[in-house]
Amino acid sequence: MSAPVPVMTVPGEPPSAAAAVRATGLTKTYGSGETAVHALAGVDVAFARGAFTAIMGPSGSGKSTLMHCLAGLDAATGGQVWLGDTELTRLRDDELTRLRRERIGFVFQSFNLLPVLDARENIVLPLQLAGRRPDSAWFDAVIARLGLRERLRHRPSELSGGQQQRVAVARALLPRPDVVFADEPTGNLDSRAGAEVLDLLRSSVRETGQTVVMVTHDPIAAAYADRVVLLADGRLAGEIEHPTADSVVSALRGLGA
Amino acid sequence: MRSVVLAQIRTHAARLVASCLAVVLAVAFVVATLVLNQTTRDTVLTAAGAQYLGADVVISTEDGSSLADDVETLRTVEGVRAIAPEWEVAVQAVVPGRTGSQYLDVSAVAADPTLRWQQLADGALPDRPGEVAVSERVGAAVGDELTAVSVAADGTESTTTVTVTGVVDLGGDPGAGLYGRAYVVPEQAQAWGAVDPTEVRVAGWPRADEQLLAAAVRDALDGRLTVRTGTEQAEERAASMLGNSFALTAILLVFGTVAVVVAGLVIANTFAVLLAQRTRELALLRCVGATGRQVRRSVLGEAALTGLAASALGVGAGIGLAAAVSALAEGVESPVPLSGLAVPLLAVVAGLAVGTLTTLLAAFAPARAATRVAPLAALRPTGPAPLRSRAGLLRLLLGLLLLLPGAGLLALGVLMSDVFVALPGGVASFLGVVLLAQRAVPPVVRAAGGLVTRIGGVPARLAAGNATRNPRRTAATATALLIGVTLTTAMVVGTASTRATATAGLAAAYPADVVVESLSGELPGTLLGRLQAVEGVAQGAALPTALLTGPDGQEWAAYGVDVSTAVPVLRSTADTPLPDAGEVLLPEWMADSWAVTDGSPLELTGPGGGLSLRAQVIAEGPLLLTAAELTALVPDATVGQLWLRLDDAGDPAAVVDAVTATVGTAVTDAQVTGVVSLREQMNEVLDMLLLVVTGLLGVAVVIALIGVGNTLALSVVERRQENGLLRALGLTRRQLRGLLAWEAVLVSGVAAVLGVVLGGIYGLTGTASALGMTGGVVVTVPWLQVAVIVAVATVAGLLASVLPARRAARTSPVAAIAS
Repeated sequence: MSAPVPVMTVPGEPPSAAAAVRATGLTKTYGSGETAVHALAGVDVAFARGAFTAIMGPSGSGKSTLMHCLAGLDAATGGQVWLGDTELTRLRDDELTRLRRERIGFVFQSFNLLPVLDARENIVLPLQLAGRRPDSAWFDAVIARLGLRERLRHRPSELSGGQQQRVAVARALLPRPDVVFADEPTGNLDSRAGAEVLDLLRSSVRETGQTVVMVTHDPIAAAYADRVVLLADGRLAGEIEHPTADSVVSALRGLGA
Repeated sequence: MRSVVLAQIRTHAARLVASCLAVVLAVAFVVATLVLNQTTRDTVLTAAGAQYLGADVVISTEDGSSLADDVETLRTVEGVRAIAPEWEVAVQAVVPGRTGSQYLDVSAVAADPTLRWQQLADGALPDRPGEVAVSERVGAAVGDELTAVSVAADGTESTTTVTVTGVVDLGGDPGAGLYGRAYVVPEQAQAWGAVDPTEVRVAGWPRADEQLLAAAVRDALDGRLTVRTGTEQAEERAASMLGNSFALTAILLVFGTVAVVVAGLVIANTFAVLLAQRTRELALLRCVGATGRQVRRSVLGEAALTGLAASALGVGAGIGLAAAVSALAEGVESPVPLSGLAVPLLAVVAGLAVGTLTTLLAAFAPARAATRVAPLAALRPTGPAPLRSRAGLLRLLLGLLLLLPGAGLLALGVLMSDVFVALPGGVASFLGVVLLAQRAVPPVVRAAGGLVTRIGGVPARLAAGNATRNPRRTAATATALLIGVTLTTAMVVGTASTRATATAGLAAAYPADVVVESLSGELPGTLLGRLQAVEGVAQGAALPTALLTGPDGQEWAAYGVDVSTAVPVLRSTADTPLPDAGEVLLPEWMADSWAVTDGSPLELTGPGGGLSLRAQVIAEGPLLLTAAELTALVPDATVGQLWLRLDDAGDPAAVVDAVTATVGTAVTDAQVTGVVSLREQMNEVLDMLLLVVTGLLGVAVVIALIGVGNTLALSVVERRQENGLLRALGLTRRQLRGLLAWEAVLVSGVAAVLGVVLGGIYGLTGTASALGMTGGVVVTVPWLQVAVIVAVATVAGLLASVLPARRAARTSPVAAIAS
């Protein structure tokens, strides 16, 4: 992180007002010397505010690594990441942790919820960690939209996979984060439950202007997004505006996936 | 499967360390106890039996009658080469450089070298009359001249001067007694008045058979004498000395058992968690063709190897510990005789067996659970399933069956003041408590969790949830600590109450710390003032004395006391009645001879006139009236007795010495007696006992805390994903460390509080039942010490969380989520 950033854009350029998240010259290398693996080999990408973007690519293309670096979960080897006008790559662990709980929402593929907390407690956890109280009108709105009202007192073990994932979405949306990152959110769900979750993510973008970035390898899931960013071998390999399942499949085939 | 077992141990070595440590500590404890026991026996045998080990046969009389006539008979017995009659006498000797004279037990030195058993620290044994060898306690050096006053059999007193030729090392002989020993040639002993030997030691020819010689001697003498071989006699004497140290060994082994049980709980827990984490691994083994039996054998094999290795370490540590204790004890005056080191084979075997079997036994239940793993568990994507707590109905029933009658018996023991009724009740009820802890602890932890959530915020809320999500594990962890804390508290509370009871008893029996009186009955009037100036003396009262004429016309010594100055000096007036004005106290025998009854008037006269006083009859004591009335009867009454009270702080022994010195310069025949030294002695014994016992129980507490750290470390591994998720959602490293700290505090705090409550009950009921017979039990709870126990256990639990917490905080959230 201390190494000079390879300049792909103008150095120190303030991020564009339209971009919620933006990365310039992002690299991530595991190991060193001959055995070094370049998971990200210089990625420049921006995610528009109020848009639903999917990151796609074959296995090992670096899509999860990209998401982890964008979300401040993992430290990049080089390059810069901006969340709004905050440069994540400059922050220390504590500052990153605080930023995550205040400005970023997460939905993971599995193991999204703490088993000792019930659904409501899971949903308000990031706010509580930040010492904030949930805005009750907004809480009610989110709960109503996700159809969780009857399930708030249930522990994760008493919820179906789809319900658990909806609780995770509610948790991600409640603090009104700058961006929600979803990592294969439908990977463990059957197609109906998966479609529900994707509908919820898309409607939060449409109705409340939430920014959502989703990593997926499923073309049907990607078709819910406004835009698909394609990744291969740690580099950007193209984009598709207004994707359909078919256009995504053919684009992926072009990457040799 | 053997390769799998070894690979498992290699891979999980770090995680096994904690349970190994528990085994090592427990085994070391047991082994050290057994080794010290053997060492004590050997020390006593060589020290107490020293004088017999060189002899082939020892003849003694049970009734103390003389063996003088048998000596000549003995000389004629076939095979007897030399005999040494035990000439014994006592003299009063003045040692240069020491004030006063001391009482010396004198015995004769054998003429024959093989019957001379004395170990010389310096110089040589006496060869002729006029020479003496003394024990180290006497405080004389080679070349010193002792002046000995002896009383011959006919009652004539004579003074002899003898030269010290040697100093004898008695080697910590517990039978050496309080007095110094002197060794002289038989002629000197006889000159000092030794007449009737009650013991004769006999030496045979080299390589003679002791038993045969003993039989020959027995045939030659009449049947009233006891004839033993030298070895038998040495063992006999050692055994009579060892009664106490056997009791000590029994007590130590009880604590050893506690340590082993606690270690067993910790080990069982460790294995349960280790296996729960390896569910998938074990299932994979099943998938590739291992039978359930093979899996179980591999788990038990792992336990056996771990237990054996840890036990071996424990045996080594125990022997080392015993060696250290023995070396320390040789340096100081230890109440238990210890010298050198004797390692019985039993200690080594028992240590290895106890450690290995405990580990195996503790691993048995987890191993059975592991066998039930379905092969398909390996293929399930979910993380390891948490251990399910089983109903344990049997445990509940057994626990209640032990607890309820046990508690009843304990209560009965208190009511009857019979410790032998209370003790089994206490043991049974405590076993019941331990069995029930599994049910009782989780709800208490949950309730305590509700409390800490209010102060600790989100991390505490999560910790409370974590602490109760595996009730069985939490209960086992807490129970291990609970046992140690309960027993420690019981000891502390019991000791405090015993001390209070004994102190009250002493104060009632001996109300004044120091009493100064003179044999001639007269002390200088200025002495009180000079004694009050002595550093450490708080207050004093002078009691005038004079001769009064009673109704029988005889003169009797009477004392006068000024109640206003005397009461502040006395520690207790419970058993010390003091006269009011117009009253006289007199002992029962005097009242009987004067035909005076309680409350009737008694006429006493002196040079200053006569007074009619109301008689108050007491059990015993001198005539006692108020100082004012005594001086009215006898205007020139002198001081007869001084009572002193010492400061509570400071070293009473030193103050008594200073008082004695001051008194000595004023009056030559004065006597200074201080119950204060008695109290001091009792306190020392109790303090020592408490220190030793809490030290021993400390081992159990340390093992239990290792268990707390262990459980947390394994939880950290188990909840890796969860902690990663929390970090991703915004839990800072600090908060994550706080989460684990709260969990540790909850478990150890609950165990400490429950343990202190239980321990308090056992300590108080124990004291009440043990001391109730003597009446007047003073029950005290040393709140400060109890608070310290809770704090130490809780803080130690907190410390136990530090390492696991650091490890958890270091893991990056991505790595945790990805795994």
